[in-house]
Amino acid sequence: MKKYSLVLFFCLIFLSAHLSAQNVTVNNNLTFGTVFPGIPKTISKTTAGLAAEFYVSGTAGNEVTIDFALPTYMNLGASNMQLIFRETDCAIDTSATPDQSSPEFNNLDPWHTLTYRIGSNGLYIWLGGIIVPGLTQTEGSYSSNIVITVTYTGN
Amino acid sequence: MNSEHKMPSIWKILVLLLTMSFLMVASVSAQDVAVGQATATVQTPLTVTAIAALAFGTIFQGVPVSVAETDASAGIFTMTGQAGSGISLFLQLPEYMSTASGDDRMIISFSTTDCAIDTTANADPTTFGSGWTAQNPFNLPSGVIIGTASTQTSLFLGGQVLPSVDQTAGAYSADIILTVAYNGT
Repeated sequence: MKKYSLVLFFCLIFLSAHLSAQNVTVNNNLTFGTVFPGIPKTISKTTAGLAAEFYVSGTAGNEVTIDFALPTYMNLGASNMQLIFRETDCAIDTSATPDQSSPEFNNLDPWHTLTYRIGSNGLYIWLGGIIVPGLTQTEGSYSSNIVITVTYTGN
Repeated sequence: MNSEHKMPSIWKILVLLLTMSFLMVASVSAQDVAVGQATATVQTPLTVTAIAALAFGTIFQGVPVSVAETDASAGIFTMTGQAGSGISLFLQLPEYMSTASGDDRMIISFSTTDCAIDTTANADPTTFGSGWTAQNPFNLPSGVIIGTASTQTSLFLGGQVLPSVDQTAGAYSADIILTVAYNGT
């Protein structure tokens, strides 16, 4: 009976260890604020409070892949406004003391899969971008979704 | 006898737990998805309208005529947009007025004080409200905004024509182009 209890115990340990796998949350949206027709606006990935911030929690040392589904337009009803993400608009920090102003991994391409290991303090992802309002852009509030998918590689 | 009957039950429980653990491992560690947003608020687009032409009226050969920017005959442009937003202005001014057939020209000139910019709702050059007076139309001031109270700013333009002594009789005209753009301030 003791033998079976021991096996049961290890099963539960095994189970609980893997229940702490990665989880991604949105800490901050990419916020352009007020813009003028005809004047492009850039938000840097290192600008706290305006750049998008995502946080990946999970077991330190676990490797994850990060994929974005990025919009090319923001929308207001039938009106569109061009939204550009350059190949250097992403940054990641997996250190114990994440620093958005000087991220551990800078100038990353959000259009390609990013592969990193979760750090002791999780993994922070920042994303900037550019909007290009037209000269006769319809006034109002525009928005679009940024979908991030984080996948545990098993490594 | 009893313990022999219990054994298969314990094995079943263990198999069940192991299966559950693998299933949970598979499901938990697969992937997670979050949806953030990009947001922006676009301000009111600019509109520029030429309300009134700079009108010199009837003039005589060899007699120059001036119209002040505060005169009822001054040229009037109105600009509407986002209240309080900074704008940059640029005037393209002609050097001559021409007859419709183009067979004669007449000099038109603008001094460095021939322009006024009113940021109130007023669009009448004779009743200037508030803003910039006696401005150089070739170098309009920075810091101009769309009026906060009326979401409008007006530009008044004066000038001078210098008809020659043998100027061909008839109507003369020329284009005055005002370009306005938000400057992001």
